[in-house]
Amino acid sequence: MKNPLFLVYGVMMIGLSSFAHYRGWSFSRINEQKISPKSIRDNPGAYRPTYGGYSRYVGGK
Amino acid sequence: MSSASVSPPIVKPRSLSCPNCGAPIELRGFAHTLNAVCPNCLSVLDATSPELQILQKYHSKHRANPAIPLGTKGTLAGVQYQVIGFQVREVHVDGDTFSWDEYLLFNPYKGFRYLSAYQGHWNFIKPLSALPIEVRSIGKPSVQMLGRNYVGFDTVTAKTSFVLGEFPWQVRVGDSALVQDYIAPPYMLSSESTNEEVTWSLGEYITGDQLWKAFQLSDKPPGAAGIFANQPSPVQGKAGSAWRTWLWLNVALATIAFVFSLFSANRNVFDNSYVFVPGTKAEASFVTPTIELTGRPSNVEVAVHTDLINNWAYFNFALINDETGQAFDFGREVSYYREDGETEGKQNDSVIIPRVPSGRYYLRVEPEMDTKPGTAIMRYDLSLRRDVPRYTFFWIAALLLLIPPIVTSIRSASFEAARWRESDYAPAGSSGGDD
Repeated sequence: MKNPLFLVYGVMMIGLSSFAHYRGWSFSRINEQKISPKSIRDNPGAYRPTYGGYSRYVGGK
Repeated sequence: MSSASVSPPIVKPRSLSCPNCGAPIELRGFAHTLNAVCPNCLSVLDATSPELQILQKYHSKHRANPAIPLGTKGTLAGVQYQVIGFQVREVHVDGDTFSWDEYLLFNPYKGFRYLSAYQGHWNFIKPLSALPIEVRSIGKPSVQMLGRNYVGFDTVTAKTSFVLGEFPWQVRVGDSALVQDYIAPPYMLSSESTNEEVTWSLGEYITGDQLWKAFQLSDKPPGAAGIFANQPSPVQGKAGSAWRTWLWLNVALATIAFVFSLFSANRNVFDNSYVFVPGTKAEASFVTPTIELTGRPSNVEVAVHTDLINNWAYFNFALINDETGQAFDFGREVSYYREDGETEGKQNDSVIIPRVPSGRYYLRVEPEMDTKPGTAIMRYDLSLRRDVPRYTFFWIAALLLLIPPIVTSIRSASFEAARWRESDYAPAGSSGGDD
C-alpha cells in the first residue's frame, strides 16, 4: 500500500458521509421553534414564521 | 589435516616521490594504477615506470578540493571502498560551463567503482561488462539492460578539467569523451565514447546523507539543488496507486449509498390538492390533517406542484409537531414564465426537512400570490414523503476523494517536468537542457 494516508482519509470520508446521511444532516436552512400547536390549529393566520436567512419572496417578472 | 586459517594478505600503499616537486605520492591501486597525480604540483605521472615519468604538467591555478578526501574509506553496498582518484569534468552548453565531480573508488577484491556528484546529487556507479540492447522507440531513444528500459536523457561532450589521485587509465587534463545518459530512476546507464573505446556504466542515485554516513564524514553533505536526471521522484508510482485506491473507495462509497437507498423508507405520508384564489379577503393560511411520521429521526420532503403559467407564488410552510409544539419553518417560491418558446423557472419545488423525529404532525400552509386584479387562480398539490434517500453527502465525499489522487498526480507530473527540463528532450518552451 503506497497511500496509507489516502486510505485512512478515504475511509474517514466514507464514514463521515454515511454518518451524515444516516443522521439526516442537511444543508437546508430550516428554522425550528417551539409554539403552541393548539393556537395554530385554531387560528392558522395568527402564526408568524421566522425565516432566519430566508427572504420573503416579493414577486416574479 | 591442518587447521591453520589463511589470513588475507596485508596490503600497504606504495610510497613514491614526485619527480617534478619531490612531494610524496601514495599509490593505493597497486598494479591497476596506470597514472598518478602529484597531490602537490598536480603533475600527471606514469605509475608504471619506476621513475614515475611525468606525462603532463598542470599549469592552471585552479585547484579543486574533493568533498570526500582521497584515502577515505567507506562501505557501499556492503563493500569497503577507498577513494583513490578524483576528477572534475565539465561540459560547455550555449556558452555556459557546467561541471561535476567524479571519485574513483577501489577495493582490492571488487575492483573499481565511481561516485559522481553534481550540485549535491550523487550516483554510485559500477562499470558494466555487458552491453545494453538498443530498443526501437518513437521519440526518445532507449536501451534495455537486464530487463529494464532506460530512456535517453542527454548527450554531451565531457572534458576533464582537473585530476587528482590515481587512475587505472591514461588520464590527462583536457581529455574529452562523448557521454550519453539513459535513465530509469533511480538508475542511470551511461556510455562514454572516445576514439579508442566505448565503456558503459550503471549508476544508482544516492543521497549525500547516505554517502556521508557510508564514509563516516563528520561535516554535512552539500545540499542538493534542483532535480537530477535519475533522482527518484518522492511520489514515484504513487499516482497510479492513488487512482486505484480512489477507484476502490468509490466502489465502497457507491455500495454504501446503494444500501442506504435500499433501506430508506421513502414513504408517501401525505398527498392532497388545493386551490388558491388570490386577492380574496379570506384567510389564506390553513393546516392539513394530522400526519403520522414513524421510524428513526430522518428527513421529510415537502413537494409542491402548481399549474402556474407566467405567474409566481410563495408558500410559507410550518411542519408542526402536534404533541411537542416543535415547528419547522420554511418557505418556497415557485414561478414559471414562458414566452416565445423560452421558459424560466418551474412549476414545482420541494424542500427537505432534515432530522424530523417521529410523531404526529400537521403542516401549516400559507400561499401568497400577486394581488393584482385578474391574476389567475392557482391549483396545487402538496405531498410529503418520509425518509427520502438523499445522496448529497455521498457526492461531496466522492468529490473530496478526488483531492489526494489529483494532488499526487500534479506533484508527480511537475517533478517529471522539472526533471526533463534539464534534458535534451525538454518540452518546447522550457529551458531545454541549457542549464
